[in-house]
Amino acid sequence: MLPLVLDDLVAGYGAAPVLNGLTLEIGARERVGLFGPNGHGKTTLLRAISGLIAPSRGSIRLFDKPISGMSPAAIVAEGLIHVPQSNLLFPEMEVLETLRLAAHSARARQTTAASLEGVLTLFPRLAERRSQKIKTLSGGERQMVAIGVGLMGAPRLLALDEPTLGLSPKLKDELCVAIGDIAKSGLPLLLVEQDVEFLLELTDRLVMVTHGRCGVELDARQGIDHATIMALYFGEGHAA
Amino acid sequence: MPALASPGAVVVVLLLTGLAFLPLIGISNYVEHIVIISCIWAIVAASWDLSLGYGGIFNFAHIAFFGLGVYVYAVGTKALGAPTLAALPLAGVVASLVAVLITLPVLRLKGIYVILATFALSQLILQLVLSQNQITGGAQGMVLLPALNLFGVRLASYGKVGFFYFALLLVFAATIALRWVALSDFGRSIVALKENEDYAVARGVSIGRQRLIVLVASAAPAGVTGAFYAAYLRVASPEVFGFDTLSIVLIILLLGGAASITGPVIASFLVTSSTEALSNLGPARFMVIAVVIVVILRFYPGGLDALIEKLWSKKPAPMEVMRWIQRRP
Amino acid sequence: MTLETVASVLASALVLGSLYALMAAGLSLVWTTLGIFTFTHGVFMTIAAYVAWQVSDNAGLGLGEAAGFAVAISALAGLGCIAERLLIHPFLGRENIVMIAVITTLAALTFLENAILLIWGPRLKQLKPLATGTVGFAGATMSAHQAIIVVVAPLVLVGLWIVLKRSRTGAAIRAVGQNREAALLIGLPVGRLYMTAFAASAILAAVAGILLGAMRPMTPTMGAEPLVKALIVAIFGGLGSIAGTIGGAYVIGLVEAVSTYWVGLYWTPAVLFAVMVAVLLWRPNGLFGGN
Ligand SMILES: Nc1ncnc2c1ncn2[C@@H]1O[C@H](COP(=O)(O)OP(=O)(O)OP(=O)(O)O)[C@@H](O)[C@H]1O
Ligand SMILES: [Mg+2]
Repeated sequence: MLPLVLDDLVAGYGAAPVLNGLTLEIGARERVGLFGPNGHGKTTLLRAISGLIAPSRGSIRLFDKPISGMSPAAIVAEGLIHVPQSNLLFPEMEVLETLRLAAHSARARQTTAASLEGVLTLFPRLAERRSQKIKTLSGGERQMVAIGVGLMGAPRLLALDEPTLGLSPKLKDELCVAIGDIAKSGLPLLLVEQDVEFLLELTDRLVMVTHGRCGVELDARQGIDHATIMALYFGEGHAA
Repeated sequence: MPALASPGAVVVVLLLTGLAFLPLIGISNYVEHIVIISCIWAIVAASWDLSLGYGGIFNFAHIAFFGLGVYVYAVGTKALGAPTLAALPLAGVVASLVAVLITLPVLRLKGIYVILATFALSQLILQLVLSQNQITGGAQGMVLLPALNLFGVRLASYGKVGFFYFALLLVFAATIALRWVALSDFGRSIVALKENEDYAVARGVSIGRQRLIVLVASAAPAGVTGAFYAAYLRVASPEVFGFDTLSIVLIILLLGGAASITGPVIASFLVTSSTEALSNLGPARFMVIAVVIVVILRFYPGGLDALIEKLWSKKPAPMEVMRWIQRRP
Repeated sequence: MTLETVASVLASALVLGSLYALMAAGLSLVWTTLGIFTFTHGVFMTIAAYVAWQVSDNAGLGLGEAAGFAVAISALAGLGCIAERLLIHPFLGRENIVMIAVITTLAALTFLENAILLIWGPRLKQLKPLATGTVGFAGATMSAHQAIIVVVAPLVLVGLWIVLKRSRTGAAIRAVGQNREAALLIGLPVGRLYMTAFAASAILAAVAGILLGAMRPMTPTMGAEPLVKALIVAIFGGLGSIAGTIGGAYVIGLVEAVSTYWVGLYWTPAVLFAVMVAVLLWRPNGLFGGN
């Protein structure tokens, strides 16, 4: 029973699809990193699996259960949690209040106290800022809340979309450690990032998304050098 | 000016010409009445289309311009003894003055606040009319208004036929004038303001002046028509400011399609004849109108003019319909 | 100007302000949650008053006031749900939803006004006041019914505030209004929350309508004037915050009371409009709205 199986997925906005028959599997306890050029469908992929847009073809199975066509709320209840790119969350709400609200499904509610403790241990800074409004948080803090919100939903599979976008190297390292902690728990992860080094550190397998499909796969344990990455992005000619 | 002769304009000309022959073949008073009322709503809706459809100004006080026209005629001729014919242009002037008043908040506000402020203004005008009951008759309104006198000729002496041709003439003149404004350079500049305010301003278009002119140009015909309505029915009732009136004009505009002028004119004849056909339903007829409005929005937001345009030429569907299709979830 | 004059103007301002706060809070709730403005608010008040009359009055079912209020409030909650499903829900996601909602709710207003006319006819009706007699207060007197309004309105609004601030559903409603997509991604039932907010706003309208129905004669169009007042208050206070709306209500109540006393009832609408325009020219997002 694999955490996630995507088969021949087609989805997009309006006439031309963004995802063109995308196929991907995530194994038990597996951490998969997605990378690839801008605008090739990584975010669209996450939006399709979390039910924000309806795929026009293909299937999505979460632990063997077909979830394609289900409402976002039902998909969250099934345990697939998507933390979106540049999540502004709820600007006028307080940190703690937001975290509590994020444990919404019946399953997540049972573990509210434990999840909250986990989140505040992972990001001690949020404990300090518990009654601060989200709009007054720094970018890094807001990203911590966003990930915390994801964890509060009691994920069985967590999808993070560019969690370090626009953050300073120092904050990036901090988040890298935190996501590493999450990964160690055995929770299957789908991590989207532009920074391949970041993915190498945190995931088992890297998949490149181009033109709405999954292309080259890399084994993170073997490591790759800079030239290979450049070659992937720009074609063989630039490798040298 | 080739653009003036759009498919919609051709339909309007054919329609009005055809109607002009009707009295010659002998039609009933009732049919004449329906045509007159259709002409009246046609002008109210088409003039609203100028500011709403072309100008993109959500002025929900447009019905109040019409209502003001009604009361200018009533109060002007009955209480102040003004010549009946002079009351028509006077109504246009009064409506224009109120339009100037409205421009101020319209310029300063954005989005929903424009709708709310103008709507509030129109309702406050109604409350003013209701409260000044020594002059306006309050909720009862005014009856037995002086008859319209055209340079010594009493229009009502010829049954409805005089009003019939007067109404056709008004709607014809209004359609041409409104389309002329809409398609002139000025019209282009207000559309540019609607589509891209920053760009238009950067190109030297003055928002204040253009919005003021478009509101006045849209208010004046509505005011004159209000006065004509009062002259024809010879009563003034505060209901002209009410939601029933608004719903009739709205449905005409929705069916006719925005930014076309001719669309609302054509739609007015369809809507008015249908609602007259339903008149024995009493209040329920407005319930039918309300349901149709929601249904149009749900399934057919492009409007009648878009439909004619589409049927007429095999051109791709007009922008509005295209946008609508893309917009659908 | 005597102290009594001041006291009676203030008393009148309190009564008006309380009523307007009750009316406008519902508009603001819908605006902050769904991002649309609903013109059905006034006619909802009318329907609540008529339903309460039908159930309570001896010319109707004669079941007494308490039953009348209970039925009216439940009926409006149901009507709110239905209205949201028919008028708002099908259009969610359309680019020009704000404009569409203006038109659909105006259409619904026409529909309901005429439905009331068909069901209950044009003859004036009136609800019994909640209490009889008068209450003295610092030299001013008001009817016991008005005194109840002055007390009940703030209580209802504090209740609303507590629900929004402290309850889970309240937090969810606020969240949906601030970021619909983020709300979907934490699994909130957005459609149901929209319906809940709309129904809550209808209930607020119902309370206002019942209080109003005992103060003046009921007609099918009695909701139009309160709608406009609520609208002025909502613009004045800024639609974006319920607290601002409530503050705006009391300010408008005071303006109206002062204007009625010194300028007269007839020109008060003009004064209100002038004040509204002046405030908007000075602060386009309302007196208490942010920038
Ligand atoms: N709401 C939308 N409506 C229409 N097109 C969209 C929408 N969102 C994204 N797109 C288009 O879909 C394509 C894929 O976008 P997507 O956000 O999935 O890319 P991405 O791989 O996540 O890029 P990035 O690395 O920049 O985040 C782009 O061409 C984008 O312009
Ligand atoms: Mg992306």
